[in-house]
Amino acid sequence: MLDINCQYKSVEVSGKKEINMKFYKPKSLLELFETSEKIEGKKYFLAGGTDINVQIKNGMIKDEPIIFLNHLTELKNILQSDNHIIIGALTSFSEILESELLKNKLPFFQNSLKNFASPLIQTTATIGGNIANGSPTADIVPLLLILDAKLKLFSKSKLREVPISEFYLGYKKFILKRNEIIGAVLIPENAETGYETFYKKIGSRKALYIAKLAIAGLKKISNNKIEEIKLAVGSLNEYPRRLFKVEEYLKNKLVNEIDFADVEHFLQKEITPITDLRSDKEYRYRVCINLIRTFLNQ
Amino acid sequence: MKSIRKIDAIPKLNGSWKFLDDYSYEGMIHGQLLYSTCHHGFIRKVTFPEGYDLSEFTMVYAEDILGENIVPEPVCDQPYMADKEVFHFGQVIMGIAHPNRKLLREFISNTSIEYKELPAITDIKECLENEDNVFGRKLTIDHRTGKKPDPNWVHHHKIYYTPHQEQAYLEPQGMIAIWQPKDKIMFVRANCQCPFFVKEGVEAIMGNKIKEAVIETSEGIGGAFGGKEDFPSLLAGITSLLSYKSGKPVKIVLDRSDDIQITTKRHPARIEINSWTDPETKKIMKINIDYRLDTGAYQTLSPVVLARGVLHAISGYSIPSAFIRGRLFRSNTPSNGAFRGFGAPQGFAAMEAHIDKIAVDLKMNPYEFRKINIFKIGDEFPTTQPIIENNLSDCLERVIEKSDYLNKLKEFKEWNKSHKDKKGIGISIGYHGGGYTGNGEKILNSEVKVVIEKDAIVKIYVSNTDMGQGAHTTLAQMFFEAIDHPLEKCRVQLPNTSKTPNSGPTVASRTIYIIGNLLRKFALKIKDEFGFENLENFVTSNQNKFPHEFRMKFVQDPSVVFDDENYVGVAYKDYSWAACVTEIYFHADTYQIELTKSCSVMDIGKVVNQKIATGQAEGGILQGLAYGLCEFFYKPGYGRMHGFTDYALPTTMDIPEIDVEFIHTDSLIAKGLGEIPMDFPAPSIRNAFYNATGVFIDEYPLVPERILRNLNVNKHC
Ligand SMILES: Cc1cc2nc3c(=O)[nH]c(=O)nc-3n(C[C@H](O)[C@H](O)[C@H](O)COP(=O)(O)OP(=O)(O)OC[C@H]3O[C@@H](n4cnc5c(N)ncnc54)[C@H](O)[C@@H]3O)c2cc1C
Repeated sequence: MLDINCQYKSVEVSGKKEINMKFYKPKSLLELFETSEKIEGKKYFLAGGTDINVQIKNGMIKDEPIIFLNHLTELKNILQSDNHIIIGALTSFSEILESELLKNKLPFFQNSLKNFASPLIQTTATIGGNIANGSPTADIVPLLLILDAKLKLFSKSKLREVPISEFYLGYKKFILKRNEIIGAVLIPENAETGYETFYKKIGSRKALYIAKLAIAGLKKISNNKIEEIKLAVGSLNEYPRRLFKVEEYLKNKLVNEIDFADVEHFLQKEITPITDLRSDKEYRYRVCINLIRTFLNQ
Repeated sequence: MKSIRKIDAIPKLNGSWKFLDDYSYEGMIHGQLLYSTCHHGFIRKVTFPEGYDLSEFTMVYAEDILGENIVPEPVCDQPYMADKEVFHFGQVIMGIAHPNRKLLREFISNTSIEYKELPAITDIKECLENEDNVFGRKLTIDHRTGKKPDPNWVHHHKIYYTPHQEQAYLEPQGMIAIWQPKDKIMFVRANCQCPFFVKEGVEAIMGNKIKEAVIETSEGIGGAFGGKEDFPSLLAGITSLLSYKSGKPVKIVLDRSDDIQITTKRHPARIEINSWTDPETKKIMKINIDYRLDTGAYQTLSPVVLARGVLHAISGYSIPSAFIRGRLFRSNTPSNGAFRGFGAPQGFAAMEAHIDKIAVDLKMNPYEFRKINIFKIGDEFPTTQPIIENNLSDCLERVIEKSDYLNKLKEFKEWNKSHKDKKGIGISIGYHGGGYTGNGEKILNSEVKVVIEKDAIVKIYVSNTDMGQGAHTTLAQMFFEAIDHPLEKCRVQLPNTSKTPNSGPTVASRTIYIIGNLLRKFALKIKDEFGFENLENFVTSNQNKFPHEFRMKFVQDPSVVFDDENYVGVAYKDYSWAACVTEIYFHADTYQIELTKSCSVMDIGKVVNQKIATGQAEGGILQGLAYGLCEFFYKPGYGRMHGFTDYALPTTMDIPEIDVEFIHTDSLIAKGLGEIPMDFPAPSIRNAFYNATGVFIDEYPLVPERILRNLNVNKHC
């Protein structure tokens, strides 16, 4: 190419960024809680930052303080203890996808997350962030729901465990107390053993998409009878939900005797699909029914 | 056919190639557009947020415009900035600049505008169904024989809709303007397709306050697809005004969500077809096409899109009696503009679907039916232009053979009997006339310049831009291959309106077809005049003759005579042709169409650079497929998409196996390639879905929600 120098002097300008936000980087978990307690009003934690940064850019978060978590390696591991697999809240999705332990113990769980975001986002996004961001579309939550996972919640002086099905109270509302964080996720090591499994995440394309709806299921059928069934859905309510009523109806039924009108009846009590920019209510509802039917007849 | 490497490949890989936002100038400040969020209304009051020092800002309104408040376009009806009344969402009201980009963004997002709202048309169907919205240019191609339809002929009446499409270039729109008061020159560094359009745009807004506008493109232009044909004129105008007023270099780079929402898109269309087919001969005997475009609030270049639209609307079929009418419809949305295909994809969307509908009703397979009706030597376009080659039919035959269409048709039918999911296969064909329509190239009068230096370095000067499509590499290659000169001795000047002659805009599939072929001829002419065998040796032994500058103009073939009033004659001298077969897998549970394979055969004449041509074809085919399948821009009641989270471009995972073959490559001329890959593939998906399920859908894109609605309707019938 020709070298044509424009007659005007080109310079590198280092843009003066005016940052009004406060950031904290505690050295340890203990310091984290101390820092957190000192901050009065609203504040956010930054784990992988893949949700938070978007919210900052969109102006949804203005000048609330941000506390970094991502360097606290004690919350970043996958291990087995007693009958549980424990996954630290700061574990990234790529660590989950690469874990040998999960490959052996919870392969369905691991495989189902392959469609999470993109390889780039997988390396930074954490599972704690996915749960605590509180989006109805969070990929990991329907899976954790059917695996009967529990969350370990940490605060300065207390450690408590709650089933993930009790964690959400409404849209972006949780039982988390002030100055409490998600420390780890506990999954029974045999949570998926002996079950037939099902997971579908539906979106506008095959990769890098937000779920229009997601459905996860486990079932045990013997002699055509449904002995056990666990179903959970995402993007169909204000937060991902277990379909306890549908499960109850299906339990102990013969597969060929299921009346889908009844399934729909119970389903309607448990999901509230909406029409938005991404999809339609009717579509979400109909696909949910279709997938449940396919799973049961599989 | 040599696949030489693109001249920008290495600097793009190592990051040294500069895109617009990589440029900075001393004292430069940042600009942003403040635009209307009201669809139609009077501007009552603009309120700025408190706590900012207003003296730090530079602001321009309509009343600051020094020349005329009208952007130069084929139809000059769009103002740079709204004065008292806004006519669409996204209409620019002010340009504002400040040294700090982040602060400026905050300031603008907290600025509020009060309107007195007036009635507005924002919905595509509301716009296109109502004849009261017709405005501007109307076109008719009247090729009726006067014969009444025979009562035995089978009548089909259908209405088809196509949506907006977003160009989705990698690099958003941007401009830098630098006012030089001493020389009274406005220098603009432009991210654009057409530097001379931008020059007109800047000179129009600045009036006689400047002597001249000089436009130079950035080194890299990160994609354009038509989106950087006319919007840059408006953007450069406002950026220049800000630079003039502030006395500082000003840079505006659009935020992605602004770019998606307010810049030009592909025109949504409503195409109504009435056709009459002879059930004995299976020939379509008569057709009536009503072609409507939603232009947005202003005509701008829509009449030109309309022209190409009606000229391609009949697809590749010879129909003895044809009547085609094209009209523009006004709405209160941003003006739609150029996008690869330029009106043609809409026409093919309708006609290629219509053909399958007739074929199925006549109990024929869509290939057999096409074969009977397709253009053959001796036939005519509706404009009376004679068909002089069977290349379209050759494309069809080759793709049918290569895709194993006839066997798969049977195989899928069998498979579908025993499966809930369905497999389908569909055909579509298309073509694209190269260069400006009708007398356009004559009027453009393009010129190129070449300088041969003492060291046999050859410098090529054209105003056509390389926006990633490889134009500069291919243009240089055409010149050098003609005289067998080494490529390393090649230089291509960065387009600059004071250095490169006006070789016309980089649009209309004309760059290689018009300018490339001109350069090839030019090279041969220079060789002839000097009488050399080897240029390097000749320059060495004739040093006194160099450096030497040559100029050459494009001369239109005298056979191209077109009546612009009545739409009769030769609309384009050369056409590129194509045919496509796509296979789909339909998921019954989720109503999703998965593309499994797409096979295309194209005739683009001589293929100059196999690798670049294949890349352009594959990319365009994917863009075309996505248009029919998943790209969804506007939802009634919810408005426009804001970004790539909502606007679903396909990812690599969604790409089926794409097979492209070029035929008739022994031709001497390289024909247009830019647009045709986008024109023809989309209808093959709809036809494959029709083949798979028997459900005929009259609207793009075939997103699962739409499929479910159509299946429900069909069930109730
Ligand atoms: C391009 C892109 C694609 C995406 N695709 C998907 C997808 O396919 N599926 C999907 O589900 N999501 C997707 N996301 C959303 C996001 O990546 C996930 O929700 C991710 O898991 C968030 O984790 P994080 O560590 O980045 O959270 P952060 O952004 O750091 O935090 C999110 C929220 O959680 C809180 N938080 C974080 N950690 C804790 C903790 N330990 N205890 C208490 N509160 C905490 C923070 O205060 C914040 O409110 C995508 C995002 C992007 C940008």
